[in-house]
Amino acid sequence: MYRPMNSPNPNSLKSRFTKGFVKALIRINKNHPRSASSSISSSPREIRRRYHKIKTASYASMACAVGRRRAWSRALLWKIRNQACNGGVVRRSIGSRSHYSMKKRVEQNKVNELRKVVPGGEGMDTWSLLEETAHYMKCLTTQVKVMRTIVEIHSTTT
Amino acid sequence: MENDFFLNAGIPPPLHFEQASSMPAWRSSFSTAIDIQSSTADRNYSLEQSPDCFYNPNWVNKSTDQNIHFESALSPMLSSPAASNSNISNESFVIRELIGKLGNIRGSGEISPHSESLLGIQNSYMGRNGNVSANTSCYSTPLNSPPKLNLPVADHHWKKEKLPSLGNSMALKSSVAEFSADPGFAERAAKFSCFGSRSFNGRTPQLGMNNNNSTEQPPFRSHPAAKNGDKFPRVSSSPSLKALGSQTSMQEMMSALLQDRSEFPISREESTISEQNPNGETNSMDLNSRKRKSVSKGKAKDPPPPISPSPTSTKGTEANENSNAKRSKPSENNGNDQNGSMKAEEDAKGSTSSDEKQTKTGPKPSEPPKDYIHVRARRGQATDSHSLAERVRREKISERMKLLQDLVPNCNKVTGKALMLDEIINYVQSLQRQVEFLSMKLSSVNTRLDFNMETLMSKEIFQQNSGLPQHPIFPSDSSAQAICGHQRQQNPALCNGAVDPLDNTSLCQALGCNYLLSWTTAPYFGPDGLFRAAPSGVL
Repeated sequence: MYRPMNSPNPNSLKSRFTKGFVKALIRINKNHPRSASSSISSSPREIRRRYHKIKTASYASMACAVGRRRAWSRALLWKIRNQACNGGVVRRSIGSRSHYSMKKRVEQNKVNELRKVVPGGEGMDTWSLLEETAHYMKCLTTQVKVMRTIVEIHSTTT
Repeated sequence: MENDFFLNAGIPPPLHFEQASSMPAWRSSFSTAIDIQSSTADRNYSLEQSPDCFYNPNWVNKSTDQNIHFESALSPMLSSPAASNSNISNESFVIRELIGKLGNIRGSGEISPHSESLLGIQNSYMGRNGNVSANTSCYSTPLNSPPKLNLPVADHHWKKEKLPSLGNSMALKSSVAEFSADPGFAERAAKFSCFGSRSFNGRTPQLGMNNNNSTEQPPFRSHPAAKNGDKFPRVSSSPSLKALGSQTSMQEMMSALLQDRSEFPISREESTISEQNPNGETNSMDLNSRKRKSVSKGKAKDPPPPISPSPTSTKGTEANENSNAKRSKPSENNGNDQNGSMKAEEDAKGSTSSDEKQTKTGPKPSEPPKDYIHVRARRGQATDSHSLAERVRREKISERMKLLQDLVPNCNKVTGKALMLDEIINYVQSLQRQVEFLSMKLSSVNTRLDFNMETLMSKEIFQQNSGLPQHPIFPSDSSAQAICGHQRQQNPALCNGAVDPLDNTSLCQALGCNYLLSWTTAPYFGPDGLFRAAPSGVL
């Protein structure tokens, strides 16, 4: 599950994500051409749209890189597709009611919070949720690293 | 006579056991056996490599000719009359004496007087097992605890105890304790009497677990044999065990002693000793073997219904041993990677648990089918299936939390589920915010996205880019200013405007505040009291 981050493995999660994300960036840039001279013309709305697309592309490419092995990636892709269709259905929380003490209730609340944060966490039991969280955290760090690198590359080149 | 059982054992010819009538011949043959057996690479598993050896009780069950022979051979060793008790007890005692002597043969190479042999056994055992500290009766107590019985001192006690106590459950315990403590005893007995590898191994866990049934012992998880489940096939019943007809309490005692075994040779000793005991607990043995096979994640279920109720007198000592055994579990767990942390954790919990008092008395819930994960209730805990399942679930979750704790940086000091969950949630949210921020950066910075895929990929993958943990807390003022500057160039209105067109984006907020910006670019703030932003919308 844990691959070395700097390995030139073409099939690594990082590589797959990078390829997908860069392709998406190129595609977005084509669809939303920006004038190289000055960006004053780009409206905040456009920036917002681009931002949203890039963000979605980032998450989508990461979920694609992970594949359908993980529940969170499946849920993420599902959510993205639903958002694209503007028909996103919010899944109901299927958390089990437990008659714990106050302490446990607090803990259960936090678990539910975690469910909201992790995609696809709503319909999972606690143990699976923790497992998905671990993998999701790992993928998020990869995502952030790659994006940061891309930004740095372009900030140096531009 | 001995020829029969030795021949049946399939011992290779060199071990000429036909002439075991004379002590020296026997001794030599046994020595040969010892040498052959000890030459195997893994002594612990030499039994398996040996051919099917039948079980010791056959030895015992043989006609009294053997017994007479043994007695004659061992009579010099006996300081007390061996005929005071029944034949069986005599046989048992004589056999043990003999094995003790043989063990000493191994240790010293010659038969020495009884006391010396015992001492020799003890010393050899101590020398062999560094972790056993002068414990001849180590089996009656945990490995690390001082011995209850001192073998050299109790030589005479031992003999005297053994004979009359063979019929007495109380005394049996001590004698068995000492006897089982005989270091090489089990090894030698196993080798000499050629305990069938399968039957032997099969009994080891069974017998080790027997006492657990009635004494609510922690699971015999750390037993190395348990890891090799294939070496412990189920042995449904041992008629030879039953034949001995000693008390079940002795069996329980042996089991209590056995359960602390973490070394295979020692476990062999225990099993041999307990094998000599009559076994009315074949059922429990079956179930225990089943239990041992299914031990995987450190879960255990309640043992099967206990054996015949032990005498009340034994319960006290059993309780002591149980508690001792429980306390010794963590020490055993150190060598067990799989179950170590969990077991120690569980033992600590179990000993302090004050739930429903489920103890040795009373029938325990019957064992589930074999494909279930077997869970054993700890002492003092409820043993109904619901609470067991709950406990298993809690343990799984805590295990996961520990893994997550390793993933989240700067979370070593956080303890407790609630706090840990807080940290995890904050960390994931911070990662998501970073993604948002970087995507915003990308949308604004990348004015020309005509970059070369290959170069980008090469740079991306092979670059030693700064990962998350490498970022200083307030890093990238340069990057922040670059963004701000860039934004200012692009959208002066955006920077200056109070209206925030980009709803809830960290970048826009950051544009108005460098502090926030640096926070968004900074790595996740651990639980050191540093600033943590409120959760923002993610997707």
